[in-house]
Amino acid sequence: MPFNGKSGKFKAAIKEVEIGCGEKAIKLGGENVLPFYTFDGEIANAPKVGVMISDKGLQDEVEGVAAYYAGCETIADIAKKAAEMPGADFVALSLESADPNGDDASVESCCETVKAVVEAIDAPLAIIGTGNDEKDNELLVKAAEVAEGKNVLIMSAKEGTYKSVAMSGIQAYHHKVAAESAVDINLAKQLNVLISQLGIPVEDTVMHTGTATAGYGYEYVASTLDRIKAAALAQNDNMLQVPIVTPVASETYGVKETLSSEADAPEWGSRDARAINMEVVTAAADLASGSNAVILKHPASVATIKKMIDELM
Amino acid sequence: MALTGIQIFKLTPKKNCKKCGSPTCMAFSMKVASGAVTIDKCPEMSDEALAQLSEATAPPMKTIKVGAGDAELTLGGETVLFRHEKTLVSKNLFAVTVTAANADEKLAAIPAVDYERIGERMYVEMVNVKFTGEAPEAYAALAQKAAGLGRTLILECACPDAAKAALAVTKDAKPILNGANPENWEAMNAVATEAGVTLGVTGDTIDALYDTLAALEKAGNKNLVFDCGSVSVKDAFSKAVQLRRAALKDENRTAGYPSIVNLAELAPGDLTLQAALAAVFTLKYGSIIIMEDMTYAQALALYPLRQNIYTDPQKPMKVAPGIYPLNGADENSVCVTTVDFALTYFVVSGELERSGVPCNLLISDAGGMSVLTAWAAGKLSAGTIAKFIAEEGIEDKIKNRTLIIPGKVAILKGELDAKLPDWNVVVGTREAVQIVKFMKDYA
Amino acid sequence: MTLISRVFSGADQWYDQATEAVNNAIAKYGEDQAVDFGHTAYSLPCIYAMLGDKIGTLGEAKAILEGKIKDLMTRQPRVKDVFTSGVASALCCELIEVCKYIEGNPYEAPIIGHLTDAEIREIGLPLVVDDIPGVAVIIGAAPSEEEAKALVKGYQGKGIMVFMVGGIIDQCVAQNLEMNFKIRIIPCGYDLSSVIHVVSVALRAALIFGAIQPGDWDGMWEYTMKRVHAFVNAFEPVDDQTVACGAGAIQLGFPVITNQEENIWNIPKSLIIQKDTTKFDPTSLEARDIKIKIVQMDIPVSYAPAFEGEIIRRKQTQVDFNGADVNENAFELVRTLPLSEVEDHKIEVIGPEIDEMEEGSMQSLACVVEVAGKNMQTDFEPVFERKFHNFINCLEGIMHTGQRDLIRIRVSKDAFAAGFRAKHFGEVLYAKVKSEYAGVVDKCQVKIITDHDLVKQHRADWAQAAYAKRDERLESLTDESVDVYYSCVLCQAFSPSHVCVVTPERLGLCGAVSWLDAKATNELDPTGACQIIGKGGCIDEEIGAYEEINEAVNKYSRGALERVTLYSIMQDPMTSCGCFECICGIEPFSNGVVIVNREHVGYTPLGMTFADLASMTGGGVQTPGFMGHGKSFIASKKFMKAEGGIQRIVWLPKDLKDQLRDKIDKSAKELYGIDNFTDMIADETVCEEDPEALMAFLTEKGHPVLGLEPLM
Repeated sequence: MPFNGKSGKFKAAIKEVEIGCGEKAIKLGGENVLPFYTFDGEIANAPKVGVMISDKGLQDEVEGVAAYYAGCETIADIAKKAAEMPGADFVALSLESADPNGDDASVESCCETVKAVVEAIDAPLAIIGTGNDEKDNELLVKAAEVAEGKNVLIMSAKEGTYKSVAMSGIQAYHHKVAAESAVDINLAKQLNVLISQLGIPVEDTVMHTGTATAGYGYEYVASTLDRIKAAALAQNDNMLQVPIVTPVASETYGVKETLSSEADAPEWGSRDARAINMEVVTAAADLASGSNAVILKHPASVATIKKMIDELM
Repeated sequence: MALTGIQIFKLTPKKNCKKCGSPTCMAFSMKVASGAVTIDKCPEMSDEALAQLSEATAPPMKTIKVGAGDAELTLGGETVLFRHEKTLVSKNLFAVTVTAANADEKLAAIPAVDYERIGERMYVEMVNVKFTGEAPEAYAALAQKAAGLGRTLILECACPDAAKAALAVTKDAKPILNGANPENWEAMNAVATEAGVTLGVTGDTIDALYDTLAALEKAGNKNLVFDCGSVSVKDAFSKAVQLRRAALKDENRTAGYPSIVNLAELAPGDLTLQAALAAVFTLKYGSIIIMEDMTYAQALALYPLRQNIYTDPQKPMKVAPGIYPLNGADENSVCVTTVDFALTYFVVSGELERSGVPCNLLISDAGGMSVLTAWAAGKLSAGTIAKFIAEEGIEDKIKNRTLIIPGKVAILKGELDAKLPDWNVVVGTREAVQIVKFMKDYA
Repeated sequence: MTLISRVFSGADQWYDQATEAVNNAIAKYGEDQAVDFGHTAYSLPCIYAMLGDKIGTLGEAKAILEGKIKDLMTRQPRVKDVFTSGVASALCCELIEVCKYIEGNPYEAPIIGHLTDAEIREIGLPLVVDDIPGVAVIIGAAPSEEEAKALVKGYQGKGIMVFMVGGIIDQCVAQNLEMNFKIRIIPCGYDLSSVIHVVSVALRAALIFGAIQPGDWDGMWEYTMKRVHAFVNAFEPVDDQTVACGAGAIQLGFPVITNQEENIWNIPKSLIIQKDTTKFDPTSLEARDIKIKIVQMDIPVSYAPAFEGEIIRRKQTQVDFNGADVNENAFELVRTLPLSEVEDHKIEVIGPEIDEMEEGSMQSLACVVEVAGKNMQTDFEPVFERKFHNFINCLEGIMHTGQRDLIRIRVSKDAFAAGFRAKHFGEVLYAKVKSEYAGVVDKCQVKIITDHDLVKQHRADWAQAAYAKRDERLESLTDESVDVYYSCVLCQAFSPSHVCVVTPERLGLCGAVSWLDAKATNELDPTGACQIIGKGGCIDEEIGAYEEINEAVNKYSRGALERVTLYSIMQDPMTSCGCFECICGIEPFSNGVVIVNREHVGYTPLGMTFADLASMTGGGVQTPGFMGHGKSFIASKKFMKAEGGIQRIVWLPKDLKDQLRDKIDKSAKELYGIDNFTDMIADETVCEEDPEALMAFLTEKGHPVLGLEPLM
C-alpha cells in the first residue's frame, strides 16, 4: 500500500510583488503552499536573497565581509560589488548614518548616497531607514523621490511612519513599501489594514514582521511567521497575503556570539565563522517559516543560503 | 480525538489513592490529558478501562526512547505540527558522524562543544557510526570505540552481520540500528529485535519507505525511526514533512515515527550549508540531525535556535537569579535590575554590554515573566527587589548604592526609596534600544 | 431669487468670460499656441483630473470649453445640476488663468498662482495624511486689516494652510504679514479665477497620492472630500460668480462659510452663514471636522512616566488637595456637553491659585474636564477619568492617588518653586485627553476649581450625581440589555488562539477589560484588539451559544476555535490565555467547582495548585470543566449559569472569599434566596488537598450543591 499523503495546497495564495526594473527585476510571493512544500504544489517564485550594505561604509565589518569589498572606495563601488555577489538577488542599502542617536547625517547627504547607488547598479534595490520615526518620515520620503522610476523597496513603513512613507513611496513615486510591525500577527495585520485604508493597494506592499537572532526570542518570530502563513493561506485572510521580507544581518551581527573577538572568547574560534553561522542559521529558519526574502551581509552566507534555496526548490 | 481530562476522570477508580503520584484522580486525569503522564501509571485502573484509554490517549506520533541510563534520550511524541498550536515536546537531537577512517580525530573533537545556556546542556547528544564495508569485527571495534565517548550511538549499517557484531558490544547502551531498507528489512528486523534496539528504516521513495515501515509494524516492531535518506535535500525534506503531517493531521500512525536527517550525506563537505539545513530541519520535523562536524561556530547558532523553538509557550525560559557583572564591573559599579525572563535578560544584558559601561546586573526571581507582566502579577515589586537585595547580601557584595530600575516600572521608585533608604533609585529606560544611550549619558 | 438660479447665473458669466479669454488668445496667438502652467505633468490639471482630457493648445482649450464643459452646465433645477455647473465654473477659471500664462508666469511676489508638481508633492503628503490638518481658502476682503491678519495668523497657529484670493491679500500686505510657500500662506491672485490654483492642489493630490484615474469624477470628489480638509471663507459681498465657484467647492467636499446673509441660504455642513467674522475660524473647523493635534504642553515641570511612582511626603508638600479630609473636598470628573457649550482649549481656574494658598495647607480641588464630540458617549467618561491618575502622576513633583471624589493630590515645594500652578493641571488634562482620545473628543475645556464652597457644591450636584448615574448604568448593564459584545485579542502574543468574548456581565479573564473598556477601545482604535461581535443567531440562550459569536471566535482565533458558549464551563467553555486572574475547575465529589486566584500559592481540593491548573488550562485551548476568568466574574449571575450558577462554588481561597463576600452573598440571595452563602463555601482553613474534608464541610453547612444534578 503506497503512502497516501494529503496535499497541503491551498486555494488562497500570497500576492506577487515585483521589485526592480528590467531583466533583473525580482518577484516575491505568489505561492499557495507552505515554504518549500514543493511536493504540495509548484512554488511560483523561489525565495530571494538580498545583500545589505551600509552608507557608513565598511567600518567594523568582519573579516570575510571586509575582504570581499576590499578596494571599494565609494558607496557606488560597494553597491556594484554587492550586486555582483554570487547568489545575490537584490541590494539593500541601509541609511544607518542618518540615525539621530548616531551620526545623524542629513537627509540631503543620504539622498546623495541613494542617488549614487541607484545610478551604480541595475539590480533591484531596497532602501532601509533608521528605524527612528521622526527621521524616517522625512528621510524615506526624500529617498523615494530620489529613486523614482527604479521600483525600489522602501523599508519600512511603521505605525508612526506608514502614512508618509507608504503614501509617498507607493502613491507618489510608485515604489514598493514594507510594512514593519513588532513580532505579532495582529499588529502585522492591523498595519496592513491601516495602509489599505489610505487607499493604497495591498498588492504594492510587503511585510517585515519582525526579526530576531536564533536564541534571542526567535520562537516568537517563527510562530508569527507560521501563523501569518496559515492565516493567509488556510483562512484566506487577504490582509495577510503579502510577501514577507526579513532583514537578518541587522540583527545577527549585534549579538555576543558574533561580536566577541577571538581574544575575548578563544574557545569559540573564528569570529568570521561565527558570524556566518549565526547569519545562515537564522536566515534558514526565517525562510523555512515563511519569509519570501532575507537580507544578509556575508558573501559566504549569501552563497550558502542561495544554494540551500536551490536545493530545496 | 484526544480525550479531555473529564472524560478520562470518568474511567478512573475515583478513589484518590495517590498511588499514581498525583493527589487526586482528577489531577491525574488532567495530566494524562495533557500528555504529561501515561494512563498505565494508575495501578487501580480496570483492564477494560485501560484498554479503552490506551488506544484513545496513545499519541499519533510514537515516543521512542534510545540510549540508556543518564544518556537516555527521548524522540517523537509530538501532537502538533506548529509550536503555537500547543507545544513541541521532544527537541531534535544532534549527532556527528564518524567512520573508521576519521574516528580518532572526530571523537576527540566532539567533546569540545559542551556548555550550558539557560539551564540546558548544549552538546552533541549522539554519534553516528557509519559502516564503510569493513569486516564485522572492525565495525564492532569502531562502534565500541565510539561508545567510549558516552554518547548514544546510531549504527548506520545496512549489513546484518556487521550490525550484529556491533550490537553485540553496544546493545546495552540502546543505540539505534539504522540500516533497514525495502530489501533487507526482515534480516535487520531480526537483528534489532534480538538486541532490543530501535531500528532505523529508509527507502528511496516515500512509498518504499512507508511500505517498509508498514511491513515492520506488521511484523510486530513498533520501535522504529525512519531515515529521510540521501537522494536529495528536496527529497529528504519532502519525506520529513509529509510523514509528520500524515501522522499528526491525518492520524496515520504508520507515519508516526521520529526521523533521521543525515546532512553529512546530503551536503557532504559543506559545513555552512549543513548548518543552514540543520536550521530548516530543526523547524520542520527532523528528530535526529546528523552533521559532519559540530564546530563551536555552528553550535552557537544551532543550539539556541533549537532551544527557542522547543520552549513550551506556557513556560517561559528563565535565567538564574543573581549578580551578573558586565563589562568588567566590580563592587564600585552601578547596579541595574531587571526580571529573570530569558529574553528580557538577553536583550538587556546585550544592550548593557554594548554600552561598554561597567555595571552589575541584578536578576531577581520574577517567575520568568517580562517586566510589565511580572509587575502586574506581583512578581516584580519594590518588595521583591528589596527582599532580593537583602537575601542575596547585595549590600555586602557591592559598595555602589545606585540602582537603575526598568522604566516600565517607574511607579516602583517611591516605594523603593522607602524600602531601600541607603540607595539612590534611578528610573531607567522603557525600551531596551534606549539603554546604550542612557548608560553612556549616565556614566 | 434662489441659490440655484444664482449658481446658474454665475456659471453663465464664467462661461462667457472663459470664452472671451480663449477667443482673445486665439486671435492673438492662433489655435496651435501651446498652453501650460509649467512644471506639471498633468496639464491642465483640473480639466485632466475631472474630465480625463489633456489640453495642450488653445484649440483644444476651445474645443473642451464648447464641448464637455458646456455639457456640464445643465439647467434642471436639481442639486446635481448645481454641482456640475459649479465644477464647470471652476474649469472655466482654469482656462481663464492658463491664458494669462501664455507669455510666462504672469504673477509676481507675493502672488504665487500656480504651484508646481514638486510643490504639490511636498505639501500634498502632509495634507492627505493629516499632518497639515486643513486648508483655508479665503476669498474677498475682511471687515478690517487687523481682522484679516488675525484670521490668517489664527489658522497658521493651528498648522492650517492658507490660500488667499482677492482683497485679503492687500490687507495682509498692509499688515506686514509674511506670505510665501514655505510658511504655507499662499496668495493665489486678485482675480476670483485664481482660486483654481487651490483646486489644482486638491485634484493633483488625488491624482498623485490617491492614484485616482483622470476623469474618474466620483473618485475625485470622494478623495478630496475624505482626504483634503479644505474649506472656504468668503467675505461679503458674494456675487453670483463666487456662488458658482462655491457650488464647485461644495461638490469637492469643501464647506463654504460666509458672512453674507442676503440671497444666501444655509445648507447644513456645506454652506454656513456666520455673521460674526471673528468666529470664522472655529465655525470652519467644526464644519470640516478638523481636529488640531496637541504637540506640547506648556508646563514648568518635567512630564514623563519616570515620575509616576514619586512619593511626595508631608514636609515636602506645598499644598495638599484631599478629598478624604473632613473639611475639604476634592474630585475629578469628565462631563460630556453639547458641542456648542465647549470652547476648545479653554482652561479656567475658578478660585485662588496655588500661590495664594498657605504653604503646607489642606485645600479643595475639582478637576472637571468637559468634552464634546460627535462620537463621544457618556459611557467613555469613566474610561477617560480612570486615566487621570496616570496623566497627573507623570508630572514631576506631583503625586496623585485615589479616584472619583476620594482623590488626593500633593504639589511639592520644588514643583511650586519651578512655577507649577493649578492651571497646569488644566493644561495637562486638556492635552492628554485631547491626544489620547482624539477619535472621539472634538473639543475639550477644563475647569480647575479651587474655591472651597464651589468645590463642595459641585461635588454634590455634578460629581456625585454623575457617579451615581454611572453606577446605576453599570448595574443595569446586563448581557441582555446590550446589542453587541466585544472580542479582545490582546493576549494573542502569548496565546495565539485565545479570544475573550467580553460582555457586560463577563469581563475579560485578565480582569482588566470590561465591556465599557472594550467598547471605548474599539471606538478609539477601530482596527485594534477589540472588535464588535453581534448577538445574532441564538442557538441556546441558556448556555449562551450564538452563531455570530461562534463565527467571531472562529475568525479571531484564525480557525483554532469553532464554538464557545458564554455561560457554560462544561460545553465549549471559553478558552483561557495565560493572564487570567482566577481559574475554576470542577470538583467531582461534590459536583461543585473550586476557584483559585493567582495570588494563592497552596493546593486546592483538586490536588492541584493555581500553577498546575494554569499549565493545563492556559494557552488558548478549551478545557471542559476548567476555565480562566476575572475575579469579579465570580459574583456575576452569569457565572456558569448553564450549570446552575454560583451555588456550584464549593471552595475559594480565604482572601478572595473575604474580598468578594458581599457581592457573592447578594447574588446568591437574589438568585436562590440563600442568606450568607459565602459561609457555606470552604477555604484553605477547612481543607487543602483533601476532598473528604471538603465533603464533610459541605454536608455540615447544607451547601446547595449537594442537591444539584451531577456535573458530568
